[in-house]
Amino acid sequence: MTALPPTLAVPAPAAPSADAAPPAIVVKDLSFRYPGTDRDALRNVDLTIERGDFVAVVGGNGSAKTTLCKTFNGLVPHYWNGDFAGVVHVDGVDTWDSSVAELSSRVGYVYQDFQNQLVRPTVREEVAFGPLNFGHADHRERTEEALAALGIAHLADRFVWQLSGGQAHLVALAAVLALRPEVIVVDEPVAELDPARAREIYLRLRELNTRHGITVVTIEHHAEFVADFARSVVLMADGAPVWHLPVQEAMDRHGDLRAHGIPAPDAVALTAAVGAERVALDVPSAVTVLREHLRPAAERSGPSAPVPGPAPEPAPAEVVASLRGVSHGYRGVDGSLSTVLDDLSLELRAGERVALVGTNGAGKSTLMRLLTGLIVPRAGTVAVDGIDTRTRSASLLADHVSYLDQHPQRMFLKDTVREDVALFPRGRKVPDAEAIVDRILTEVGLTELAGRDGRTLSGGQQRRSTLGIGLAMRPRLLLLDEPTSSLDIRSRDDVTAMLAALAETVRCAVVATHDMDLVAAWATRVIVLDQGRVLADAAPQALFARREITGRARLTPPQAARIALELGLDPLPLTATALREHLRTVGPDPTQEH
Amino acid sequence: MARTTHDVLSVEWVRLELLRTAYSTRGGLFSRMDPRVVLAWYLLMALAPWFTHSTGVLALLFALGAVSVALARVGPLVLGLFLIGLLGNVVGLFAASFLFGGDLGTLVALAELNLKLGAVSMASMAAFVSLDPEKLSDALLWFRAPELLAFGVSYGYRMLPILVDEYVTVFEGQRLRHAPVERPGLLGWRVILQWCTLAVTAFYPIMLNTAKNVRTTVEALETRGFTYAAANPVGRRLRLASLRTAGLDWVVLVVSVVAVLAAYRLGALLPL
Repeated sequence: MTALPPTLAVPAPAAPSADAAPPAIVVKDLSFRYPGTDRDALRNVDLTIERGDFVAVVGGNGSAKTTLCKTFNGLVPHYWNGDFAGVVHVDGVDTWDSSVAELSSRVGYVYQDFQNQLVRPTVREEVAFGPLNFGHADHRERTEEALAALGIAHLADRFVWQLSGGQAHLVALAAVLALRPEVIVVDEPVAELDPARAREIYLRLRELNTRHGITVVTIEHHAEFVADFARSVVLMADGAPVWHLPVQEAMDRHGDLRAHGIPAPDAVALTAAVGAERVALDVPSAVTVLREHLRPAAERSGPSAPVPGPAPEPAPAEVVASLRGVSHGYRGVDGSLSTVLDDLSLELRAGERVALVGTNGAGKSTLMRLLTGLIVPRAGTVAVDGIDTRTRSASLLADHVSYLDQHPQRMFLKDTVREDVALFPRGRKVPDAEAIVDRILTEVGLTELAGRDGRTLSGGQQRRSTLGIGLAMRPRLLLLDEPTSSLDIRSRDDVTAMLAALAETVRCAVVATHDMDLVAAWATRVIVLDQGRVLADAAPQALFARREITGRARLTPPQAARIALELGLDPLPLTATALREHLRTVGPDPTQEH
Repeated sequence: MARTTHDVLSVEWVRLELLRTAYSTRGGLFSRMDPRVVLAWYLLMALAPWFTHSTGVLALLFALGAVSVALARVGPLVLGLFLIGLLGNVVGLFAASFLFGGDLGTLVALAELNLKLGAVSMASMAAFVSLDPEKLSDALLWFRAPELLAFGVSYGYRMLPILVDEYVTVFEGQRLRHAPVERPGLLGWRVILQWCTLAVTAFYPIMLNTAKNVRTTVEALETRGFTYAAANPVGRRLRLASLRTAGLDWVVLVVSVVAVLAAYRLGALLPL
């Protein structure tokens, strides 16, 4: 956990020194309609963003957050021509009379799928690309300066395909920074990054904001980051801002946020539940508030809060997969062998819901690929369903184990979702394959969309399609790589619920993930990998209570668990709902209403 | 048969070899040179064999090519493909001519063409293995190639590793989800046929995915002044300002010119 000052002390929007300066962005009576549509995307938007502000734009899917931000750098209306009415002034310049090129040196834009924004082979070239194109003679200084400002000077000579997701995002940011903009727009950094990486991006953005005075606008679904980092919040709905308020006031209106599909962060929800006048925005301040409302221990062990006693030791369930003394590694471009898994032994048993966690490069994906039989270990044995993976080809092992890739679109081999789900059972001549496909499509809620190409679906629907593909293989062991990455909170909850319902069909499910909320809500066993070894193997509750492990593996437990840990609760509640049992609350739990 | 991890002749190895070749990670003489001089050197070596019919001269130029390949540290994959191509050609033509009543003399007659093609191919390998994407793109820009071509070359290289990764994932998905063939048939022809079908159809999802992904790329290029630079030459001048020739460049170029001239002179004297 990072030591952040309590958010209550953060100054109100727009630093006082900026009072005299004109606003960075002024939007007046703006309406915009994309060509070929019959509805305005933006409707009568009025918005002022002060210089030096850190603005979070929040709102449900389709509320035109991205379209709004694309008016700031002139992509709307100069790249996306459509019906444009009203005025946008950036730094005093009317965007209608300007051009994307000119505005780009004032407003930098980092895309949600930032990987596609990188166009040059090396990091240094990538960052210098903008300054060179615009003919800035000091392109070298600008490049070095941008790299240094984000602390990635050591990456300068890397190739972009060697970067991890977090590094790639910082490079995209640096490339934008090299044009020395006054405003930076970042579209959903959390979407393609794990929360720990996203926090690092936010810390960098905060530094750019406070130290270099750059105005930052982020589009964000995760209210936890909004509460932690933003100075002011714009809530968008239906193509227009509902309100634009300082972050404290915005969070005090958590009811509005929830109504627009933005669930309040645990700190906000819990302090609101105990009736705090001003909700807490982060963990330390929430702890201060909640400590006074803790129920005494005796009161808690009533029937309303059943404390799970030590479970009776059950007979060990049947082993679904086992690894014995497994070591594996890959050759690098320079020919050296890097060890990824080092003498690893594990047994996965029936009925377990296993979460595989650890930093990038800890060996999660390698472990999963070993279990599918796509690769065989350099040393040791991997057995699935009692079959040594060395003795059978991966396509025969597919009858026992299935693997869902991290990128859903790489799993769409056919041109409709139905064909993709049916591919495996039809090919293996499973009796009543069609009935199975129908049942699975209903289970994952895609009967309506079964005729569409998977690529045209939304993120959540794509994940559900891949789940359907996996289920149609009727595996004993189901492996999922990052099933909740790049999903907004609502789709994430959908997928989590669907995973929980899997238990009946699959003997054992393993999820590799960075998403600790998923771990808390779903897993019964967490395996922490660190440098190719098992660092810890425990139930989520036991794991999140151990700071030395979470610190070493760079895991950030769910916010509710962090608050509970600070409050010294034992056993540790992992979700806001569980933590409420320990508090004297006023009113019903709002999260239970939906 | 028990499966094991192979470090060579596996999919992973092909991937790594492609990267090593594309990004010239092995170093070598030409990778330390100015890219413009490398292209000039390539023009010299690629054109030289076309102005003679003398087998002796061509043999020497072929030897020169072999030396450059060694100096450029060309990797085993590219070299292997080249050898298979060249030897396959020689053996195939010889077999064909033998069937139609030819003899060893045909082989000599065919030597001229094969030596010529071999010399040109080796010069190409040596040059392009030594140019990383950035250098190649700068050199093309300097030679007044269209902006879009120079950018396209460098962008293609940037995408290559990602597309290879994606292809491998999709192909693995194909293998896992399609039923394995029940009876392999004579020499496993059904297995081979399925393998080939899957390998080709794996391109279909990748093309669609790429088409979707580049929408952001095109928009981002706009914001980063790509079209602006096409109309304003200042950027081009700045980009090319970093190109410098050093002593090594001229030494290599002069030695090569001398060697080619010597090959023409001495080759005629060889008893071939």
